[in-house]
Amino acid sequence: MPEQSFILNGKKVTVDVADNVRMLWVLRDRLGVTGPKYGCGINVCKACTSHINGKAFNPCAVPVSKVKETDEITTIEGLPDTASEDQRGPNGLHPMQEAWLERDVAQCGYCQPGQIMAAVAVVRRAQSEGHEVTEEDLDGIRNICRCGTYTRIREAIRTGEQSM
Amino acid sequence: MSAAAPNSSAFEYQTADCWEEAIKLRALWGEGAKLIAGGQSLVPMINLRLAMPAALIDLNPIVSSGPWLDQGELVIPAMTRHRAVLDSPLVATHFPMLAKAVGLVGNVRVRNRGTIGGSVSHADPTGEIPCVVLAAGGRIVVQGPSGMRSVPADDFFLTYLTTATDLDEVVTEIRLPVAGDQDGWGFDEVTRRFSDFATVEVAVSARSRASEEIPELRVVLGGVADRPLLLGEDILEPFRRLGADPQAIDEVAQNAANSISPESDVHASADYRRRLTQVLTRRSLAQAVGLG
Amino acid sequence: MTEVLPDAPDVGSLPRTGETYNIVGTSPAHHDFIEKVKGSLLYAADWRLPGMLHAKLVRSQIASGRITRIDTSAALALPGVVAVLTAEDVPYNQIVENASGGLGEVTVSQPVLAADRVRYAGEPIAVVAATEPEIAAEAVDLVEVTYEETPGVFDAESALADDAPLVHEEGNVLVNWNIVRGDVENEMAAADVVVEGEYQSQHVEHAYLEPESGVSWLENDVVTLRISTQVIEHATEIAEILEVPESKVRVIASYMGGGFGGKEDMTVEPYLALVTWHTRKPARMVWTRQESMLASTKRHPFLMRYRTGARQDGTIVAQEVEIIGDAGAYPCLSARVLFAGAALACGPYRVPSVRCTSRAVFTNNVPSSAFRGFGAMQVVFGYESQMDQLASKLGISREEVRDRNYYVKGDTIPSGDEITTAVAVTQTRELALQELGEGPPPTASHKRVGRGFGCGMQPYGRTIWFRDHASAWLTLQTDGSLLIRSGVTDLGAGQAASLCQIASEVLGAPLESISVYIGDTALNPPAGGTFATRQLYMSGNAILRASHDLRDQLTGVAEDLLDAADGELAWQGGKVQAGGRSLTLADLAKECQQRGVNTSNLYTWRAPGGKFDPSTGQGGTFPDYTFGTHAAEVEVDLETGQVEVRRYVASHDVGRQINPVRVEGQIQGGAMQGLGYALMEDCPLDEGQAVSTLFANYLIPSSMDMPDIQVAVVESGEGRGPLGARGIGEPPVGPTAATIASAIEDAIGVRPTQLPITPERILKLLDEAGSAGAQTGEEQA
Repeated sequence: MPEQSFILNGKKVTVDVADNVRMLWVLRDRLGVTGPKYGCGINVCKACTSHINGKAFNPCAVPVSKVKETDEITTIEGLPDTASEDQRGPNGLHPMQEAWLERDVAQCGYCQPGQIMAAVAVVRRAQSEGHEVTEEDLDGIRNICRCGTYTRIREAIRTGEQSM
Repeated sequence: MSAAAPNSSAFEYQTADCWEEAIKLRALWGEGAKLIAGGQSLVPMINLRLAMPAALIDLNPIVSSGPWLDQGELVIPAMTRHRAVLDSPLVATHFPMLAKAVGLVGNVRVRNRGTIGGSVSHADPTGEIPCVVLAAGGRIVVQGPSGMRSVPADDFFLTYLTTATDLDEVVTEIRLPVAGDQDGWGFDEVTRRFSDFATVEVAVSARSRASEEIPELRVVLGGVADRPLLLGEDILEPFRRLGADPQAIDEVAQNAANSISPESDVHASADYRRRLTQVLTRRSLAQAVGLG
Repeated sequence: MTEVLPDAPDVGSLPRTGETYNIVGTSPAHHDFIEKVKGSLLYAADWRLPGMLHAKLVRSQIASGRITRIDTSAALALPGVVAVLTAEDVPYNQIVENASGGLGEVTVSQPVLAADRVRYAGEPIAVVAATEPEIAAEAVDLVEVTYEETPGVFDAESALADDAPLVHEEGNVLVNWNIVRGDVENEMAAADVVVEGEYQSQHVEHAYLEPESGVSWLENDVVTLRISTQVIEHATEIAEILEVPESKVRVIASYMGGGFGGKEDMTVEPYLALVTWHTRKPARMVWTRQESMLASTKRHPFLMRYRTGARQDGTIVAQEVEIIGDAGAYPCLSARVLFAGAALACGPYRVPSVRCTSRAVFTNNVPSSAFRGFGAMQVVFGYESQMDQLASKLGISREEVRDRNYYVKGDTIPSGDEITTAVAVTQTRELALQELGEGPPPTASHKRVGRGFGCGMQPYGRTIWFRDHASAWLTLQTDGSLLIRSGVTDLGAGQAASLCQIASEVLGAPLESISVYIGDTALNPPAGGTFATRQLYMSGNAILRASHDLRDQLTGVAEDLLDAADGELAWQGGKVQAGGRSLTLADLAKECQQRGVNTSNLYTWRAPGGKFDPSTGQGGTFPDYTFGTHAAEVEVDLETGQVEVRRYVASHDVGRQINPVRVEGQIQGGAMQGLGYALMEDCPLDEGQAVSTLFANYLIPSSMDMPDIQVAVVESGEGRGPLGARGIGEPPVGPTAATIASAIEDAIGVRPTQLPITPERILKLLDEAGSAGAQTGEEQA
């Protein structure tokens, strides 16, 4: 099988796996990184949302061969390390994760890693464009939460944005 | 690697940084090749195994310089992102219907990635962009090994996800006749859920004509057939007979609904689609001729 | 008819810690929250075991037929395939679910793997185990099943016909509940007005984001499963299937990625158990989303017919209700769901004469079973529609007709039970309507705005004839930290966290010093499953009493060490205090060790029991109820039928809030699910075949489709849970459809009677009312 390399949460990794295998299964089954969750496999529920080079992507929809050796993949497990030390909160986590705790967002929690990763990407993009997160930006987050925590997700993003 | 996810078939992945390169790759791979721009339609299809390309030719390296005006036409390079169309003052001024329709394409993420050329090439019969391009009477510029040609929108959309583009051709530009001050337009759609595919949509352009009182109308229905449907002269007949008045609008809307044979699916019955066609045609027409 | 067992002290005699609390009533984050936001909480599918096999089901492709042949040879020949198991390989191939405790239903068993007959599309026929998941998937396609199709029946009412194809030889009616009280004939005949209505609900998908999943392995010859389940007590059934002693099966529940009732029946467990039992190897099974959509249980579609008789002033005198529930192909929990529907069919209203029949009927559809609201939620759409109809027929307000009929504490419900706690439904209504207020006028001439509300009454706790009980086990360790062991499973509603909060309140142990171990049949005392809004009620009461008993055990030593008088001790902040002196819990525990005083307490709390007589339709039903009112403002497009929910308020009397933020979250989430049920969600079936199993086609509303849910909480202080709390897991999903229908009726003058209320159905209603044409003309004018 071909060797596939990329940077995962700051470390270079190499796996022997067929080209067409989706990144989600490379992460979960080959690399034991289980923060990104399987919910639908067709990029609808978005429970697997992670980052590629700082931008949101859904590993269930991306074949491993599309990821380049220099691509930096960040999963929820690697998110705290992307924040500077003084940005991190009382639990040593990324400000968005801290905001999630502060707003008591999670219920079952299954979609939350994906929600947080989507939220961070939205804030980063808004900041790179030089504005605060808009309502329209929030509407663009299509991650499904069946427990119905949407109200708090939106509140938490507003809170987390302030410390990012 | 798990049975818990539908794996797609294996495919080659190649990038093109100019149209010539894209055309060369397309010729090389032939029928099995799929061009990918924003990937907002194609990627989900690959995931669902609705598309199983042998090769994916990524057009993203091709730089787009954004819409411009050229001899009475608004020119939109194929790789223009929906977001850029939405933000373009040229589009807002010269083709407000496109601005409105693009605002309804998918959601923020889809608009940030998805491209105009991708939407037109994908030819989803529920897509907003094909409807508008057809209503506008635009042209689609395609390029192949033997050069460039331009295809009128009327002849471009053939059936589900199929266009008049030859296998060795790629869509490089969309050209829309600039709307004049006296021209009107209307666009309306119904979706079951925020940012979902339209159940039915209607796009209308009303071009004023110096010689005639009645504007030239182009009315396009989306989501009711295998392609965006341009209504024929017979359906628009009440306008010729009655002029641009509410009675004519009602009759055209009724004719439009009677003329189609939409399908039923999990989201809407054929009857409801027909009903929406009538309502949305009436609303869009009324907006286009200033009676809304 | 509530019978109080000797060891079940009534609510009134509870040792309470006083009216002010330190920890109860505050909203500390759950202990599991940090792991959830870090992504490090391991759900069932996140576990990997060395050398594990991947198991996958072969499912029936037809809805009704005979299996004439199963050929597994090609699958077995595929390299990497370790086992292909069929009905022959199941020691005891029957799951018998006498969901009502055998009170009313016929006994029908469900095979673990179909042997000769299949009764729904998606029914498991074989299980494949292979070294790699994709090999297992390939092998599934290689198992050749030959069928002979037989006629099926696909809706419950048709299944009642004399000549309907039989889904089971025992007959198509699983259970027929009759609740009868008073003299319906005469009272109905004497009524000033009678209103009638027929209401229909649909199949609904739980759509928890975590699909059915788990792992299994053999440990000391014990078949051990770590799975996503609400009910670890299924270990009993798994042992039966394998024909091994119960002690040879251990079930561990991981924290669930949502359940909502859908993980109350067994899902992956019998298949994992079979694979591990046969191969002696660890295994994993994860259903794909498509499998879950196809074959997981759904919410019952109810067909409900109501006749309500009332006096001129709005007082109800009699009500007749007929409920037909589509059970699908197998019993699952249908008998109990239809019982709840029958028992709650009149809602929070006093109806002196009642006749209610409620039948669960087999069809060749996917089985229906538990889903948040459990039968008591479907009927809200029926009884609230009747109340609004009554109001308009009598020309009185919707509020007034309800005020005439609301229960008060001490009233008797149709089954003969007495309501023993406060009925604060009026307060919830007033709060909800006050919060709702009145929004702006319609945004276009072809739109109409309407407001409405719906009241609901949802039981919490199991039907009382089950003599429900739950145990909790507390240990104060010598460093002052506290261990809680309980068999609860955690759906994400804070089931485990609430136990910590209660124990912390009573013993003064800081939350961070408490560790809670849950969901293990081997290591935890049984708590019963997490369903029926019962865990705060049951395990909450158990932990409260265990905490009090443990404190009592420690009190003598503490009084001695602190030289304190009787009743002088205060337990707070990890210390025991009296008269300015204090002692840490650690020192207290150490001293207890020295003196041979036990620092553990295992408490089994028994809920009040009772009896129900199915022949008279009278007897004990549920321990208690949670009441509430939702209110909504909608804007309806008369031409397209689209409904926009502009504002939504949900108010419930929760008795006492253990954790207010969690209460609010439950109400918001429940209402959100209810709005999907009311307006969008449906699993259309065509002759038993799912029209779509794509997640993209199942319309779950997002925050963009619905407004923020405003929550208004009432605390009556009365409930049968710990410290006067009531359950709040299921209640918020109940009133939504009735509320939306009420608001839509206010807007357009016609009442939706079929769910979901799609734009298409709105137009149909308008057509039937003959108003659509007129409105169209109006817009043109």
